[in-house]
Formats: sequence, C-alpha cells, structure tokens
Amino acid sequence: MCRIMSFHKRVLRSVGKGPVRRNLFGPVDRKQLQQDYHTALKQDLEEASQRWGFNFLTEMPLDDSNFLWEGVSGEKVPLVYRSSRIRRNLGFFREESTLSEASVSMETGSVSAEAAPGMLQSGKENVPGTPEKHTNNLQDLERTPVKQDGNSNILKRKQTNITDFYQAKKRDVGSSRKSGQ
Amino acid sequence: MELLCLEKDTVVRAQQDPNIFSDDRVLQSLLTIEDRFLPQCPYFKHFQQDIKPFMRRMVSTWMLEVCEEESREEEVFPLAINYLDRYLAVVQTKKGCLQLLGAVCLFLASKLKESRPLTAEKLCLYTDNSITSQELLDWELVVLGKLKWNMAAVTPHDFIEHILYKLPLPKDKLSLIRKHAQTFIALCATDFSFAMYPPSMIATGSVGAAVCGLQMDRAERALHGDNLSELLAKITNTEVDCLKSCQEQIEQLLRSSLRESQERQQRLQQEALNRAASKGVDPATQSQSSTPTDVRDINL
Repeated sequence: MCRIMSFHKRVLRSVGKGPVRRNLFGPVDRKQLQQDYHTALKQDLEEASQRWGFNFLTEMPLDDSNFLWEGVSGEKVPLVYRSSRIRRNLGFFREESTLSEASVSMETGSVSAEAAPGMLQSGKENVPGTPEKHTNNLQDLERTPVKQDGNSNILKRKQTNITDFYQAKKRDVGSSRKSGQ
Repeated sequence: MELLCLEKDTVVRAQQDPNIFSDDRVLQSLLTIEDRFLPQCPYFKHFQQDIKPFMRRMVSTWMLEVCEEESREEEVFPLAINYLDRYLAVVQTKKGCLQLLGAVCLFLASKLKESRPLTAEKLCLYTDNSITSQELLDWELVVLGKLKWNMAAVTPHDFIEHILYKLPLPKDKLSLIRKHAQTFIALCATDFSFAMYPPSMIATGSVGAAVCGLQMDRAERALHGDNLSELLAKITNTEVDCLKSCQEQIEQLLRSSLRESQERQQRLQQEALNRAASKGVDPATQSQSSTPTDVRDINL
C-alpha cells in the first residue's frame, strides 16, 4: 500500500508548484462576470424558447411554434408538473431554506429536479427547463438574504402561502382517496 | 450508560458487482455512448482567443491539487476536466474566468460522484477567495445549461474494471495496477493532447502502461509487449496502432512529469540542506526522509 501511494503521490504531486490555495490568473472583473452570467442565462432561455416554440417568461406558445401547446389546469397534474410560475407565487422557490417542514422542502427539491421534463434541448436529462425558470427567481434568491430586514413582511406572506399550498395538497390526497374507495 | 457511536468517518463504497463486469453488454454500451461526451472540437486551434493551452494546464493542475489535498474520489478530477473541456469547446472564455470555471466543474463533478461533495466555501478558499460562493453557484447554472445537463459523462475510470476483469493478472498485483492506471488517467487529464481521445483508449493505454511498468514475471506471456497490446485492443475495440501510440504518449508524459518532480525534489532538498546548515543542524539526518525510497516504481 505504501508503494502504491508513493508512486501516486510522486507522480501527481510533481505537477504541483506551490500551495494549493492560490489565485491563478489575477483579479477577476466582477462586473463583467455578472454581465456575462446574465447574458449566458438569457441566451439559454432564448435557445429553449426557439427549441420548444414557447415563451417561458410569459408562459405562452410562440406563433411559429412547431408544437401544438395545450393548456392543462394545474389541479389535473401532479405537483411536480405544475407551473413554476404558480409555485413561485406561492413562494415555493424563494424560501426553500425557511421551510420548517422537512417534507415540504423535500418536495421542493424534487420540484426543481423534475419541474419541466424535456423543456430544453436535451430530452434525457430532465432538468433543463429549470435553469431558465430560475433565471427569474435567481435574482430574488440572491437578494432575499441581503434585504431580509426590509422584506420581512414579504417573507411572512410567503410562509402563509406555503401553508395554504400544503393544505391544498392535503385536500388533494384526501379527495383522491375518496374516489378510490 | 454512555452512548457510543463507533461508526468511522470514512467513505463507504458499494462492493463491485461481478454481474456488471462479466456481462459484455455493459462494456459495449459504454463504448457506444462514450463519444457523446467528448468535447466538440479541439478548441484552442480556432475557437478560443484569450486562453492558451498552458492556461488549461495551470487550471487543471490546480484542480488536481485540490482533489489530492481533499482526498477526493479518483473519478472526480477527470470528470471535472471533461466538463471544463466541453464547456470551453462551446463558449469563448476569458482567462480571468478560467479558475472560476475550474472550481465550478470540480463542484459539479464532486456532487455527481461523491456522497460528501466539496463545499462551495472550500472551493472559493482554494481560489484564494478570488471568487465568491455566489459566483460559483451562478456559474454552476451556466455550465449546466451549456452542457445541456448531460453530466453523467463517461470517463476512462468507467473502463478500468472492465479491462482489468478481462486480463489474466495475478491477484496480488491487481490493486497496484489499478492504482497506477488511475494515476495515469489523472495525468492524462492535465494534458490537453489527450482531451479528444475516447475515454476507452485512455483507459486501455493507462492499464497497458501500468502493466508494462510493473514488469510482470516472464511466465505470463500474454502480458508482454505485442501480446498485451493486442489483448487490450480487442477488449475495447481499439486499433492496435492507436493504442500503442496512446500508451507511448502516456509513458512519455509520465517520464517528463517524473523528471520535473525529481528536479523539484532536488531543489527542495537543497533548500532544506541550506536551511539546516544555516541553523547548524547535521544535514545527514535532515535529508534522509526525503530520499526516494522506491526505485522500482519508476521502471518503464
């Protein structure tokens, strides 16, 4: 074992040239970086719009869409397929960390992982729809902790909304059980 | 009564499933899909303007060091490099962004492969805080989008066990050969000339170099020279000549790395001696610990 390690270490350590903790290419242009970030996300969103003939910001099909889009009421589909817009209004995306119920935050996790199957270019990896959706909320996500004091009433409102949503979900389960009986 | 938790704080890995390695379909599927995860083009030639190959070497070296320092799983580093290359093949990038991207790729690869992934804070620390956690998270999203969320890329590591399983290797040498092959794979990932090679070829070349380097007993004829190359080539449907040249390239890379390492070590030893001499300590006792202990390992 010692021999194994010595070879491994000697070869791989040989590439190192000093302390691991180091800045490689000097200072980073923060402003430019932020700008590039927003451009990149916008570009992704546009590509997705073109690919699917759907405006994800207004949640409306484009005129020249190759797909026939058909509206389905949120109540008819499982939670994870519901529009992120609605979920967002419910404060779902924003306040993941403030959720007290473990089960709720678990659900949020699965929401962001499966929210929009096949929304973007890739068919297999399901998540692609989400990054664009996040585009809108991300700023909020970034901002919330900073402005927490000023936004405390919004925070509160979101919390109650989650509770509302949770109850709504409970009712769903109850009613489906009834129909099953 | 006291409650004691005797669980050790170690990574627990699943045992190898022999079904995966004895069934040829797994290997064939890997070979079929591996090309999908190659970078779209050798991006330094026509695409990238600001960044140069030596910068990729700088950032990949740093990424490897972070993985070594943090004792990450072997697959994390090559997978992160796969992300980096694929991203750089589709997005023109400024060199100021490169370390951030390297950190993002490590972050993603670690999350995909490990039960206890690297944290954003730690990665930022390794960049000497030249980037913030928020930037890391922001750009994580960008990289994911550009790679179309295709993160479960095939890497050379995926082939290692398949290849070892099919070679008539002595049991006692197996773990040593595996470890050496993994080292070669990491080494290849730091060098851009391997970036466009299919992972199976790098894996085969690495195993080949590992077996040759250890110079097995003469008894096992299948593991020598052309016999070994032909056997390996057959396992991964590679052309023998391609495989041989790949293996030679790997051995070349190892030689130059070891040379660098030796020079570095000598330099360090000299410095240590100088320091010791200036403090009036007997230099002989100081230098003993850093003397290379194992010459056999460098056999090629």
